[in-house]
Amino acid sequence: MAKRVLVVDDAIFMRNMIKDIFMSGGLEVVGEASNGLEAVEKYKELKPDLTTMDIVMPFKSGIEATRDIIKENDKAVVVMCSALGQESLVMEAIEAGASDFIVKPFRSDDVLAVVKKVLGEE
Amino acid sequence: MPIEMSKYLGIYVTEATEHLEALGRELVELEKNADDSLVDSMFRHAHSVKGMAAAMGYEASAILAHRMEDIVQLVRSDRSKLSGDLVDLLLATTDALMEQVRAAADNREAPQPDEILTRLTGTVSALTGRAPAATRVLAVEPPVPAETKSPPIEPPAAGSSFNGRWAIQLRVAASCQVPGVRAFLVYKRLSNTGRIFELRPPIESLRSGRIPDGLISLELETSASASEIESLAKNIAEVELLSLKQVKSTVPEVVSAQETSAASRKTGGGQEGQRTVRIRTELLDYFLENAGELLLASANLREWGKGLPAQIRAQFNEGVDRLQLLAKNLHSKVMSSRMMPLTSVTDRFPRVTRDLARRHGKEVDLVIAGAEVELDRAIIDSVSDPLLHLLRNCVDHGIEEPKQRENAKKGPRGRILLGVRRTQERVVIELEDDGRGMDAEKLKAIAKERGLITADAAAKMSDKEAFLLACLPGISTATGVTDTSGRGVGLDAVKKAVENLGGKFEIESRRGRGTRFVLDLPLTVSVVNLMLAKVSEEVVGLPISKVLGATEMDSGKLSSSRDSTFLQHESSLLPVYELAALLRWPAARANGARPYIVTEGETGRVALAVDKLLGQEEVVLKVLPAPLHLIPGLSGVSILGSGRPIFVLDIPRLLEHGLAAS
Repeated sequence: MAKRVLVVDDAIFMRNMIKDIFMSGGLEVVGEASNGLEAVEKYKELKPDLTTMDIVMPFKSGIEATRDIIKENDKAVVVMCSALGQESLVMEAIEAGASDFIVKPFRSDDVLAVVKKVLGEE
Repeated sequence: MPIEMSKYLGIYVTEATEHLEALGRELVELEKNADDSLVDSMFRHAHSVKGMAAAMGYEASAILAHRMEDIVQLVRSDRSKLSGDLVDLLLATTDALMEQVRAAADNREAPQPDEILTRLTGTVSALTGRAPAATRVLAVEPPVPAETKSPPIEPPAAGSSFNGRWAIQLRVAASCQVPGVRAFLVYKRLSNTGRIFELRPPIESLRSGRIPDGLISLELETSASASEIESLAKNIAEVELLSLKQVKSTVPEVVSAQETSAASRKTGGGQEGQRTVRIRTELLDYFLENAGELLLASANLREWGKGLPAQIRAQFNEGVDRLQLLAKNLHSKVMSSRMMPLTSVTDRFPRVTRDLARRHGKEVDLVIAGAEVELDRAIIDSVSDPLLHLLRNCVDHGIEEPKQRENAKKGPRGRILLGVRRTQERVVIELEDDGRGMDAEKLKAIAKERGLITADAAAKMSDKEAFLLACLPGISTATGVTDTSGRGVGLDAVKKAVENLGGKFEIESRRGRGTRFVLDLPLTVSVVNLMLAKVSEEVVGLPISKVLGATEMDSGKLSSSRDSTFLQHESSLLPVYELAALLRWPAARANGARPYIVTEGETGRVALAVDKLLGQEEVVLKVLPAPLHLIPGLSGVSILGSGRPIFVLDIPRLLEHGLAAS
């Protein structure tokens, strides 16, 4: 069965792009959230296999949201979406329990490689 | 832009535009109030634009946004860096970005923003003392990176599933963009399974990405088996497991980090949030048109049903009732989906005000209140430019320079109020300044001089009427009165735009105290309630909103003086006009009782004589196709339930025109 993914980013643009990448990689995007608060709620509701998480978002940052999600399920797989220059934020997110990260601008192959590995599909 | 990115163009343009608009607003706000949440929000906007532009391969935009992000970041850490000049630069950057986005939208080559980039780079360097960081842009889809081969791992020794200590060698791929983070992730993952010793390079070096040749070595004490460690390493991208060897076990018991139980603590107060989708406006227009047609079609059906035998008719009507109700509900939902807040127009006003005021050496505060009111998109589109024009007028000509204001015993800062309030079916927008005001006498003098009014008319004219003289073509751009920065749009265009929407435009002013422009607008334009009347064998519709009443009177009971006739209505005498005559249709001279419609013209209430009142009907108003739109006094056409097309009248203009002609 296709792995179920929750995509979190405050930009629809980014969400669409990630969704397309996932769809092309045979993953199923089951939900989207545009801020950290929504992300945590959606996570609880959908229990996805994987959550991609933007870092800079309104209301609640991706790092805080990751922390909350890991608190909810310490096996949760959260992959941070970061930009160059956000290294220390990504490490903070990893401390908070993020499983991996991808770097913007996204390249489809890189993203799928990270995601498939983190899901243990290789 | 890589070809496969083109499908994201639309959303890129929409979202980037929203971010940039917000940035522009916040920049203006920043000068007044530089609080943390504002700066954070600006950072997010710049950051988002940077990310999107980079993904789209728009290098110039990505760099502009990156510089913007740099500067906002600097301001975030040190407010003293903030200055009017810096805000100017950021606003100019926002504009340049907007221009880039528009060029992308139009699929044309954007101008290279070299000048602004130079300024930005200079500013970032000056503020930080070093050159800004490079911006990474996805220019061309790069070749697929060579897939890492399966790691050559020494076969696990017998009994390797016991607790043990492992010497591990890893390599972070050279292609990795952020080796420090990658290495840290490996470290973290491994340390989750046990305890790490002999880490080379040490953790601080790892974190900062100082990893010679990408090589990492460590020893791990864990209860995990070789194959578990193997698969763990394998499940991290950009990392190659070079070797995995068991070393002698020193500690019998190994701490497992995997024992934290998931505390499923539910946090309350889940927020639902509104689910929204974006929809193209043409599609909405299509929906509206069809929902309107559906209404008409069902009304047609009802008319047709009147010819059915009585025993079928009841059932038929029941069906039609239901259909009509559904069509009506659908129509009203589509209408409401077309509603947009006026803020979509006014949001850019603070910026405009600031720029204009700065250019003229004036100080102006703009206060906007109530702009959340929602109006039909068609109205929003039509009032956007007029409002902007009025605002310019206030800043350019209403508000005095600080010195003049001091002399007039006013504060140095001018104040402009944009107030919006909604009544049941109307929205009233008031734009008011506390500037020098308008000069009624001067306006009259100019109008007289140009032969637009007679001396007699000028003498009788109230101030309020005189201010509207400013809306006459030729006066609206007269020097010193309401000159409008050479934009070629006068107040006449504003008045016309407002009236075309079925609205009313008024000017109130007091010399030395200020001017207030009032735009009284309908909430929606497309559906109108009509009073139907028969005139010269034709049916015409008058918007109910303009109809104050209807009455029937024997023509012999009208009062006349000289060549005018008057109708007594609610304790006042109203001038009577033959609607047929105003329309220049042959009048059916009828004696005896006739119906009159009481309505409001520019100059006050009037009574319009018609042949017959036919009742009310809600119709979908369609704009007049060319060249019919040139006929004064018609505001549109519509099709009645019976299928009959009718003209919808614009009473004030009809009166104005009809009277001028007679």
